[in-house]
Amino acid sequence: MTSATTEARSLDGGTPPDRFARGWHCLGLADSFRDRKPHAIEAFGGKLVVWEDTTGELNVLDGYCRHMGGDLTQGSVKGDEIACPFHDWRWGGDGKCKAIPYARRIPMRARTQKYPTAVRNGQLLIWHDTEGSEADLDILPPELPGIGTSEYTDWTWEVVPITDSHCRELIDNVVDMAHFYYVHFSFPTSFRNVFEDHVATQFMESKGRPDMSGGYGDADLFLKSVATYYGPAYMINWLDVDYKGFETEVILINCHIPTGPNSFTLQYGITVKKPEGIDDKTAQYISKKYAEMFGGGFLQDVHIWKNKVPVQNPLLCEEDGPVYQLRRWYEQFYVDKADIAPEMVARFEFEVDTTKANEYWHEEVTENLAKRAADAGSEGDVVSTGSTTGGGSTTGPAES
Amino acid sequence: MLSFGGTTEETRSDQKLYLDGRLTEIACLDCLAKVRVKKNSEHQTSVQWTGGSLEQCPEFARMAAQPGGRPVHDSCPRLMASIESAVLEGELEVGAADGY
Repeated sequence: MTSATTEARSLDGGTPPDRFARGWHCLGLADSFRDRKPHAIEAFGGKLVVWEDTTGELNVLDGYCRHMGGDLTQGSVKGDEIACPFHDWRWGGDGKCKAIPYARRIPMRARTQKYPTAVRNGQLLIWHDTEGSEADLDILPPELPGIGTSEYTDWTWEVVPITDSHCRELIDNVVDMAHFYYVHFSFPTSFRNVFEDHVATQFMESKGRPDMSGGYGDADLFLKSVATYYGPAYMINWLDVDYKGFETEVILINCHIPTGPNSFTLQYGITVKKPEGIDDKTAQYISKKYAEMFGGGFLQDVHIWKNKVPVQNPLLCEEDGPVYQLRRWYEQFYVDKADIAPEMVARFEFEVDTTKANEYWHEEVTENLAKRAADAGSEGDVVSTGSTTGGGSTTGPAES
Repeated sequence: MLSFGGTTEETRSDQKLYLDGRLTEIACLDCLAKVRVKKNSEHQTSVQWTGGSLEQCPEFARMAAQPGGRPVHDSCPRLMASIESAVLEGELEVGAADGY
């Protein structure tokens, strides 16, 4: 046998990207910056300063003063400007130095890096492009109707710094059908992807594993999910959740800011459409519970990312999603705009066959449940161990 | 250079295999727009459009004319029917000989 397929494969770690992605990045809930104080955000290998001026506008500049490198995030807001704690140089939201109180004149070249801003769905977004292009307002994520009104709960918002992983690991999840079973404890029963232009979507229907708790593991939990990345770093996930027949419309924002070549800050937010006949406090409680559930899901991913190696040549089987096509789509944000190849943005549709996978998975779960029942010395009833999902705490008897 | 470029010849041939392998050109029976399709099973389907074929699709154009524009998520039903027909006619092979 001389076939090359008998040779051991090696993992190609690839070359790390030479830049951070071009596009809109979310820094957090807009209101969290509205206190007339400077805020520090780690981003793009450095630090940014965020503050609100007297007109209510949110401004974002590079965090270090162009005079002697003072840390503007430790300065103060004076009028509309951010003042450096080192020599009180005042910088405006347009990136220009507005005043140096002890000097006769402002140097002509006193300009710093400013980031164009936009507020979407109650969140502050900034445009980043190493080429310094103008912000592309046409590709801002959409405004979600009803968000910010009494129809929906307030955002439950979480910030999770992640080290030792490139943010592409997070992006790979868009096409990763099988990890939902192994990492998040659910059966994906239907799974589709569409990539086009700067947008990439995952459609999934899933139900929780009855042999697991935590993550999405729960026999009574059914999810219908549409998750769309608008650009490289901002995903809107529309979720129809059915828990024990109780249906809830949940919106999850999953966004991140790269902080270094191998680290990023994950942020996620949850809002729930207030179900009829439920008071605000209970609705907020439901929202918090779902935030815990999806937060738990992210932590399951993080554990995998921190311990895996980067792989540029993944070996795929039939049941895997279009990893290579997704990465080709993602590449568009890491090349100069003039170098975006047609195939990076061309429409690609994919549907995975979940039949074989689900046959096997159901067998495995049935075995797990039988084993557990035998261990517990009882038949049928299975008590879960401290589930944090969807407000429920126990799983019912095995249904399959 | 690609930002995440592979470092070996083997990786480049994998990329070619997974991105271009076994894609069969199918023309829509209605508008003749050409896409490239791979089918590993009755359900598992990859459809690779090009900018040109997208423009040629009247169904997408009709959707784009709606208020709010074309829902990016939806497939063209005419193309989906054309793919099914190509399978029935034996023009599109179903199955993954290489394990993918």
